[in-house]
Order: sequence, then structure tokens, then C-alpha cells
Amino acid sequence: MTLIKNNDIVQDHWTVLDENQALQADHNIIDLDYWNVNKDALIASKAPLGLLVQGDTNPDQFIDDIQHFELIAINFPTFVDGRGYSLVKTLREKHHYTQEIRAIGEVLPDQALYLTRVGFDALEFSTKEAGLLALEKLNEFSVFYQAATN
Amino acid sequence: MYLYNEFDQTLVNERVEQYRDQTTRYLNGELTEEQFRPLRLMNGLYIQTHAPMLRVNIPYGLLSSKQLRMLAHISHKYDKDYGHFTTRQNMQFNWPELERVPDILADLASVQMHSIQSSGNCIRNTTSDPLAGVCADEIEDPRPYCEIIRQWSTLHPEFSYLPRKFKIAVSGSPKDRAATQVHDIGLHVKKDESGQVGFEVLVGGGLGRTPVIGQTIAPFIAEEDLLSYLEAILRTYNRFGRRDNKYKARIKILVRETGLDTFKEQVEQEWASIKDGQLKLTKDNIQRVKNYFTPLNYETANDEALEQHLANSGAFRQWFQQNTKAHKQPGYRVAFISLKSPNCPPGDITNVQMEHVANLADQFSFGQIRTTHDQNLALTDVKSSDLYALWQQLTAQELATANIGTITDMICCPGLDFCSLANASSIDIAQGITDRFSDSAIDTGNISLKMSGCMNGCGHHSIGEIGILGVDKKGEQWYQLTLGGSDSHQSKLGERLGKAIAKDDVVDAIDDIVHVYKANRTDNEDFASTLQRIGLQPFKDKVYDAH
Repeated sequence: MTLIKNNDIVQDHWTVLDENQALQADHNIIDLDYWNVNKDALIASKAPLGLLVQGDTNPDQFIDDIQHFELIAINFPTFVDGRGYSLVKTLREKHHYTQEIRAIGEVLPDQALYLTRVGFDALEFSTKEAGLLALEKLNEFSVFYQAATN
Repeated sequence: MYLYNEFDQTLVNERVEQYRDQTTRYLNGELTEEQFRPLRLMNGLYIQTHAPMLRVNIPYGLLSSKQLRMLAHISHKYDKDYGHFTTRQNMQFNWPELERVPDILADLASVQMHSIQSSGNCIRNTTSDPLAGVCADEIEDPRPYCEIIRQWSTLHPEFSYLPRKFKIAVSGSPKDRAATQVHDIGLHVKKDESGQVGFEVLVGGGLGRTPVIGQTIAPFIAEEDLLSYLEAILRTYNRFGRRDNKYKARIKILVRETGLDTFKEQVEQEWASIKDGQLKLTKDNIQRVKNYFTPLNYETANDEALEQHLANSGAFRQWFQQNTKAHKQPGYRVAFISLKSPNCPPGDITNVQMEHVANLADQFSFGQIRTTHDQNLALTDVKSSDLYALWQQLTAQELATANIGTITDMICCPGLDFCSLANASSIDIAQGITDRFSDSAIDTGNISLKMSGCMNGCGHHSIGEIGILGVDKKGEQWYQLTLGGSDSHQSKLGERLGKAIAKDDVVDAIDDIVHVYKANRTDNEDFASTLQRIGLQPFKDKVYDAH
């Protein structure tokens, strides 16, 4: 996996926890089910924590807990599913979430610019080539009709 | 009309280069077919039966003569010397080569045109009244608002991967000439009691497999809130619209399944949080765009010369009565250019004709041309004393068929001949109807006939007074007829006449319908009124007894 952030390829400190995996010492990205079951222990551990949601997850399901997460990862099941774009916009503008929001799953380099314009500040790609191409694609436009979401 | 500044021009130029790179990567195998598909669609490129099809946006149906000349040039250089005007006021080229599309886009950009979002699951070209700015019944010119919507929706980062396509139409007059009730969002300019300009907002209209008339979601949204309200609707649709079945993905299905009241609540809740944000339009924002649409420099003119020509020439008189309309400025008329001549598929125009129309626009109508949702053109600002000269020149180009509004002025999709979705051909049926009715069309009176080659309904058959829908029955082409549809202010879906009709019998069946109308109409009764008075049965009896 290649992560791009701030116009560069960066080292990824985070691990998306899958069902059979044990919790790392810190920087775990857990899903909503795991969070709901283990909330108290996770809060007590005080380790940096990320939350994984889907594009169609209703923010009401986690918004009250959002202060516990240093990162939110929004998964794209397919690259044509645009729900994640509206979710990130909502988290940024309506709920004023300022920490990292990462696009993961099926994300294409050609989508990098739109994704960052709506409020993603980190994009995960499956290969380094895709990451490098995405960096190029971030500079394809110098003008926009819409204001950016930061 | 709106003119690009450096900002707009940079944006379309950068878009051309972006697409050039995407095309190159696709041809090199670096983008898969599946990955390239939405990218090419968002630049108007379909893959059709014989070749790609490129759809070029004509924002709210307004073209300069220079732009029309460029379309002529493109049709000659990259295509087969003709173009096709669509029901959404755009132009389609049916034979471009995929490899050369970036060059076509560069040519378009050189005259402030593009094909951005002319297809794909995104916000399409905003359409409007072809008589905007010149009709006497207008509350406010809708074009500045269309331009504001064009800019907001162009390369919109959040709404480029919607569940399905999304179409917006704006009407500035009480009489709807933009089919706003069959758009995903229809906007009607209104004024409130204090004279403040705003919009009645309709949502969830559409044709296609499930035709639906749009419903009012907000009776009045102030002009300053236009974009935030649109954004609230789009965000609600993007979040909740169905993505499991592309035939149920349009906003009309979401509104139906959610219920208008609940949908409205969701939209208004979203709107409350963004209403006073950066999308709020200031008076200055609006005025800046309005300045591009100030009234043209009309001269004082009278109808003296016109009266003389009308008295002297019957053919001119016929064209004048059928193809011109009143203008708000005394001494001026709106002249429609029929693209439904007997020798040409509906909506098609050759490169030579385009050149001529561009010249006529320069000569007679301030260098501007409008495209209409009926697939015709209009020169909207012609001095009535120039009409005779205009008519003579149009006649020489086979562009003066006096049939606007009649049965031969039909809306028709490209059908099986070009489209990979079609079940049946439409162009040859159109030809048959034109042959049958050319001589009697005016005498028959205005009847809107609309035909689609499949249930996707690009030819708007559901809202034709006579609708024809091509269907496939075990590999054979059959046609379903409907009567009584309407696309006027009170849009209505047509009622099915009976079982489908074999291809060879379609023109006779239309003839039967026209006969029943003519036999039953009172003096000046129009088709819709006769149908309403006598009902469907007499038409059924005539059509099905005969076949």
C-alpha cells in the first residue's frame, strides 16, 4: 500500500485491523462494530485510534464519539460509488472534524484531486506507481469553480 | 451571452489536457476499459453501435455564430459532415474516432465550448427556455441563473460519482418551454410579494423507463439561496439514492420510495447547515453574470415591409405563420429554423447548413443562435422587415420547412440505426410520417409527436400528444402508441392506446389517429382538447379495427 499525504508519499503508521488480527500496541484502525463492543477498554488504553467507516455509514452512528479518533478512514467499495465524497464533506463542514480523513479501498489516481478537494487529506493506493501518478494528477487543475474543503 | 474570462478558459484548457492524458493511458493499456469508462463519459464520449458518439454541451441552448462555425468545422474534419441536435439542446457527433476526441475538445475549447459532464453519472448541461430574454411573458431572464448553475456544477468534486445522471432545467416564464417537469430538478423563476426573485423548485421528474412528473419540493427559494438549495438536494441524493440497480437509481425513484415529505425534510435539514455558508449568492455575484445578458441593441422598427411581403407571397405567409413567434420588442420576431425537412432525420444538420445559419445569425440576429428542446434552431432577434430575406435564404438551404409545432416537427431519438440501447428504429418511421403528412401538416394543426426507439425514452414519447415507443418482440420491431401526453406547463403522461403495432402499420395507425381527430374536432379545437372531450375509445376503434 502506498499512502499519499501533503503532496508526498509518506510512511503509514496505521494498521487497519481485520477480523482475525490482534490489536497492535497503538495506531489501530478499527471498524464501528469493534468500537461499539470494546469502547470502554479502548478509551482506557489511551492509544491513538482510527475508525473505519463505509461511504454510506450514517455519521449519527459515530459522531458523538468522534473525539476519540485521530483518524477516520472511509472505504470505497468501488471507485464509482460517490457516497464517501459526501460523507467526508459532512464530517469536515458540518462536524468540523480536523484530523486525518483517509480514502481507502478502490480509489483511482484520476480521482485524487476531487477527493482532496472535498476534504480527504490522505489517500491510500494499492501500488507505488498509482501513488506517484496520483501526485501528478493532484496538479492537473489550477482553477476551480468550487471552494475547497479543508 | 456569457463570455469566458481567463479563469474559465484555463479550466477548459486544463480539462482538455487531462482528457488527452487519460485517452493516451487508455490506448497504452494503463487504464482498463472499466476505469476509462466514467472518465470518457464525463467528457461526453459514448461507445455506440458503429462508432463512438461525442456529445457537446450547448449551455442552456445558446450559441454564437463563431461557435456554430466551429461545430461545422468539427463535423467536417472529424465526422461525416453533419451533427445532430438533441432534446437537451446539445449537439451529438456520431462518427468521431476515439483517438481524435482530445483534438476535438481542444477545438471546442478555442471557442469557449466543452463536453464536460455531457454524459456520465454527474450533473449534466443545464437547459432552459429557447425564448429566454425575448418572450413577453417572462418574469426574469433565466440564463444568468443557468450560467451560475453551470459554473457551480462544472467539475463538481462531490457530485461526479452520483448514483445516476442528473439533469436540471430552468424556466423564466409561466409557460414552460423547457420541459422542467420532467427533469431531476426543475426550476421556475418566481417573484414573491416584495418583488424578490426566487425559484419554485420541482424534484424527481424524469422520462425513461419510469416516467414521472416532478413535484414541488419548495414553493419559493430566494435567488441568493439557489446554489445551497441545489447542493442540499444533490447531497441528499448522493447519500441515499439507490446504487444497487441502475434502473432505480434516478432521484425520482428515491423521492418515490422515501416519500416527498420525508425527502424534503432530509433536504431541508441538510440545507439548514449550509444555507448561510460560502454558497450564498450576493447581489454582486448575480449582477456580474446578469451583465452578460443585458437586452440587445434593438433598433426602432416597424412591420410595414413585412406586411407587404405577407400580402404578396403565400409560401412566405405560411412560413411566417408557422415558424415565427412574437417578440417582446416591437418590430422584431423570433424565427424558428426547422430541422425537420422531408429529406433529413429529425434534428440533423449538415456542416454547410451550419455555416449558413451562422452567417444568417450574423446578418439578421446579433450573431446568436438558440437550440430548442424540440431539436430545432431559432434566431430570436430578427427585425420583421428582414424576415422575408431570411426566409428566402433559409429556403435555399432546405431550412424553411413551415412545420414548427405540427405533426412532422417530431422529436425523435437516433434509434436502432445508431444507438446501442435501442430496440427499434425511429428514423425510418419518422421518414414515413414526414412523407405521409408533409402536405397536410399545417391543415391538420399543431400536434406534438414524439418517438423513442426504446423505453429509455430519449425521444420523450411519454409526453407527446402522440407518443411512439419502439419495442422488441422476439427479435422484431414493434411500436407502442400513447395519446394525450403533454410537456407544457401542466405536463402529463400519455395513455396507452392498446397493443403494440407492427412496423409496417405504424404510419397508417398515425394516419387513423389524425383522421379521428379531424373528423371530431370543432372549429379551432386542438388535439388535446378533442381527445379529452371524446376520449381514447374512438381512436382505439379506428386503429385496431383497421389492423
